[in-house]
Amino acid sequence: MKLLPLFISSLSVSLRSANALWPVPRNLEKGTSHLLLSPSFDIQVEGVAFSDVPGDLQGAIGRTKTRLWEDRLGRLVPGRGQSDLQASAAPGSLSLLTLSIKPPPGEGKGAKVPSITSEVLKDVSARDESYSLHVPADGAPARISANSSLGLLRGLGTFEQLWYWAEKGGEAGTGVVYMHEAPVVVKDDRPAYPYRGFMLDTARNFFPVPDIKRTLDAMSMVKMSQFHWHVVDSQSFPLEVPEFPELAQKGAYSEKEKYSTQDVQDIVKYAAERGIDVLMEIDIPGHTAILAESHPEHIACLHASPWSQYANEPPAGQLRLASAATADFTVALISAIASRLPGTLFSTGGDEINQNCYREDAQTQKDLKESGKTLEQALDGFTGRVHEAVRGRGKRVVVWEEMALEHQVGLANDTVVMVWISSKNAAKVAKKGFHVVHAPSDYFYLDCGAGEWIGNSAGTNSWCDPFKSWQKAYTFDPLASLTKDQASLVLGGQQLLWAEQSSPENLDSIVWPRAAVSAEIFWTGPRLPSGASRSVGEALPRLHDIRFRMVQRGVKAIALQPLWCALRPGQCDS
Amino acid sequence: MMLLRVSQVLLGLSALSSSALALWPQPRELSTGTTPLKLSNDFSVSTKGLPSTPNDLQDAIRRTQGFLKTDKLQALVPDRGASSKSAVGSARALRSLRLAYTGTARRLTSLAEEAIADVESRVEGYTLTVPSDGGEAVLQANSTLGLFRGLTTFGQIWYELEGTAYTLVAPIQIKDEPLYKYRGFMLDTARNYFPVDDIKRTLDAMSWVKINTLHWHVVDSQSFPLVVPGFQTLSEKGAYNAKAVYTPQNVKEITDYAAARGIDVIAEIDTPGHTAILAHSFPEHIACFEASPWTKYANEPPAGQLRLASPATVNFTSSLLTAAAKLFPSKFFSTGGDEINANCYKEDAETQKDLAGRTVDEALDGFTQAVHGALKGVGKTAVVWEEMLLDHKVKLANDTVVLVWISSANVQAVAQAGYRLVHASNDFFYLDCGAGAWVGNFPDGNSWCDPFKTWQKSYSFNPIANLTKEQEKFVLGGQHLLWTEQAGPTNLDEKIWPRAASGAELFWTGPGGDVRAALPRLHDLQYRFVKRGVKATPLQPEWCALRPGKCDLDA
Repeated sequence: MKLLPLFISSLSVSLRSANALWPVPRNLEKGTSHLLLSPSFDIQVEGVAFSDVPGDLQGAIGRTKTRLWEDRLGRLVPGRGQSDLQASAAPGSLSLLTLSIKPPPGEGKGAKVPSITSEVLKDVSARDESYSLHVPADGAPARISANSSLGLLRGLGTFEQLWYWAEKGGEAGTGVVYMHEAPVVVKDDRPAYPYRGFMLDTARNFFPVPDIKRTLDAMSMVKMSQFHWHVVDSQSFPLEVPEFPELAQKGAYSEKEKYSTQDVQDIVKYAAERGIDVLMEIDIPGHTAILAESHPEHIACLHASPWSQYANEPPAGQLRLASAATADFTVALISAIASRLPGTLFSTGGDEINQNCYREDAQTQKDLKESGKTLEQALDGFTGRVHEAVRGRGKRVVVWEEMALEHQVGLANDTVVMVWISSKNAAKVAKKGFHVVHAPSDYFYLDCGAGEWIGNSAGTNSWCDPFKSWQKAYTFDPLASLTKDQASLVLGGQQLLWAEQSSPENLDSIVWPRAAVSAEIFWTGPRLPSGASRSVGEALPRLHDIRFRMVQRGVKAIALQPLWCALRPGQCDS
Repeated sequence: MMLLRVSQVLLGLSALSSSALALWPQPRELSTGTTPLKLSNDFSVSTKGLPSTPNDLQDAIRRTQGFLKTDKLQALVPDRGASSKSAVGSARALRSLRLAYTGTARRLTSLAEEAIADVESRVEGYTLTVPSDGGEAVLQANSTLGLFRGLTTFGQIWYELEGTAYTLVAPIQIKDEPLYKYRGFMLDTARNYFPVDDIKRTLDAMSWVKINTLHWHVVDSQSFPLVVPGFQTLSEKGAYNAKAVYTPQNVKEITDYAAARGIDVIAEIDTPGHTAILAHSFPEHIACFEASPWTKYANEPPAGQLRLASPATVNFTSSLLTAAAKLFPSKFFSTGGDEINANCYKEDAETQKDLAGRTVDEALDGFTQAVHGALKGVGKTAVVWEEMLLDHKVKLANDTVVLVWISSANVQAVAQAGYRLVHASNDFFYLDCGAGAWVGNFPDGNSWCDPFKTWQKSYSFNPIANLTKEQEKFVLGGQHLLWTEQAGPTNLDEKIWPRAASGAELFWTGPGGDVRAALPRLHDLQYRFVKRGVKATPLQPEWCALRPGKCDLDA
């Protein structure tokens, strides 16, 4: 009779919540024991005085220690884990997590552990994010080992997700931090793809630095590695460029809606410390109308009406790509921006170039005639010069798919191509031998489905309807219709937020937890640790868990279901 | 010279059509000028002429004066008003708004009393005159509620430039009253819980667009957050946790807060369906509790319905609903009545026994008569979902209000039957639609009511489509609704606002509004909401918001 409640509670534990790690590690073994976090819990780096630990790793360790106590996430079961406390009479208590970096830094003077940042700033394919994690059930020290500080950071991220909080017998504010599936063993977890990103458009509407930092924090929770920052567009130019101060002066929405050089450095540093590289995009030659506020001589078809004939969205305006002066200007601008960024990827955009805009621009027609070039030849020349400048600053060029598929533009072999128009186009890009980042509107566009934002269009839907649910995104197959050889060209993928209908007000709720989906697709790959295929049925309870943890950390991720369902995995399945 | 003046007037007009004066809902009668006017630093609101000043009106005046200082909303034009600097600098200053009562009572009733008065007796009209010469502005009404609506309008007139609140379109004359008496918003607090502060913020936002009814779908099959005296075990066992409850004190706090903002709170305890959660404390009253697969027994999980054929359950329900209804000062109380699952009762042995030869609809009729009768006994008029009338042919009292949700096409049948109705149709007003399926393990699923209901869609709604002149008078008004399977405090504001404002204008100003003309005003409202701490969703890039018409489809 006494055994019955215990039996039921341990059974329900194993059925209801296999584990709640997101992204789920490539391999995972776990037990059924409870383990408490000791009030004296500490994290140490093996063989290194803490003062010799790189600052960004020190910061990460500090954040983990804080979060373990401050997450205060009740387990997603009816009763929120109160029964866990009763279920285990004398659990072990964990007081130490050891971080071990291989090879160990020598004993001698000058032995240094490389920083997280230094690993993040390597080429996207050269970063080592692997780690192993062991949490014994008996309270013996836990251990994360890795080849890099970045790997340790990833391991800390996993470790943080193991812990829950339960209030002590009704005493508000007092409780215990515990895990319920010790021991946990993760051997050599590493991402299936190096590029796991999120794109934010800060030009259609502006996002203050704290919003971007909060987004980076959430990205880091799910081990994302790339922040694709679509910083400017035809509507506004919030980026301050010291060599071209007039661009933001005249192109930002207001004096306050700008990113100073210091802001950008701050964001890049904040991101790198959290394992995230910043890929900035200056989209050219289209999407540049705003440049005309200070440099009208470089922009064709400025604010031409009706805009629908000259651009995919208002206002119309594109760089005069056939003009030598415009090419000089563009090279100087992009060089100025790229030279201040430490990352190895830089995007020149290249989507949605409107032919009609150039056809009707007398200056462009004159420039073409004088040079004897077609528009495509001029685009090739223009792109060539800009890309050379980017490459000259040690960066790989990133472009949207049109540059590879629709235009006759010479691209370097190491160019990274983002596929957005349709997931079907990835195979075409791979066939040309370019690296692919999946960013398909039919799976990964977070803005779709909220109605047409263009005015005077009574009640019509968004161009990329319907809403891309997390389930839809989760079913994306990165290797669909690729050959074995082509598969190696896939760097990863990302979900994207175009901000025509977004602002700080709804940033978190439109991004999270949906964007966590691609983070798992591109970390975990197609199979769960059990060998089974990933599935939305298995994923939902874990996604609930990371969503609730995000809310505890101040990220306003949305509810995926009634709480009743979140506490009862499977009960609300179709 | 004359020609120049005309062109200036024309320029003024085009400015007017953009964001020069951006009231929402648009007053029924409005005229504006082209003279700049600023608020004096010592601007005050005078109540000296009123026979008395109820406390809640005094509070409303204080809030309005607060907004005049704290909104700091710059005009939505590319330079955010900078080029108006000299015009504002040299403008006359308005020093006073005088409130005047045009009725015959010797004392003004409180806002709170007027907010919960019979819906058809409420008087919300007002006139507002703001002269251009700095002379006193005057707000007149023959009710406290009317004065309150006028204050709300007054608060939307002003933009800020370098610390000065100003308008460019004085003089302003407004004569206003709502076309429909019921302008509501429904919130479901059972699928996910919302703390009291979230509800209060929502009530504030509602009052800014003159919405006058909160339809509070407070409990459902998933949770029972309402603490009902005499039935505390329901919330003890049915709330998501001990903190996720609304105590009688919370309810009073909310209904007081609402009433002080001109809002009546109509609570709903949905019966006999949507009641699975009651089984945690009263299993004897619930049929097909958590029956599986839920799709056979309910429209969403978990399954469970009141045993409507059981006399004990009828008594229990009557006592519960009257006890709950007593917590709310409103004259209305909703007993729900949607989505009754026939199969649930077919397979419930207890119900089959209790039916004793009656059909389920006959038993439902008896159940409803008893519950509605008990509510009548405590002074409440019943509100029901449309199925009670159209699908189950339940005999309803003549004063029952019917909410039409399944399709706007069903409105005619309700009016035909002679019942007052509220538009709540999912095809125009459901704010939850279009965010994907929330039911688990359904990778390709969209929401059942796809697509997303845009503000333009609801704005184009015609409340009297297909109704005869005789039937039109049964239309009390309408409301947007937020079912919260995919909503919680983290996305409450952006789900509701500014879309629900579209319904607020539709039912205040009347149908036939042009989305092109409305968009700049709705932008203005969205920006003002954000300034006041409500996280309303942007409708377009800021570039478009600052340039009315430039992002139109045909621009």
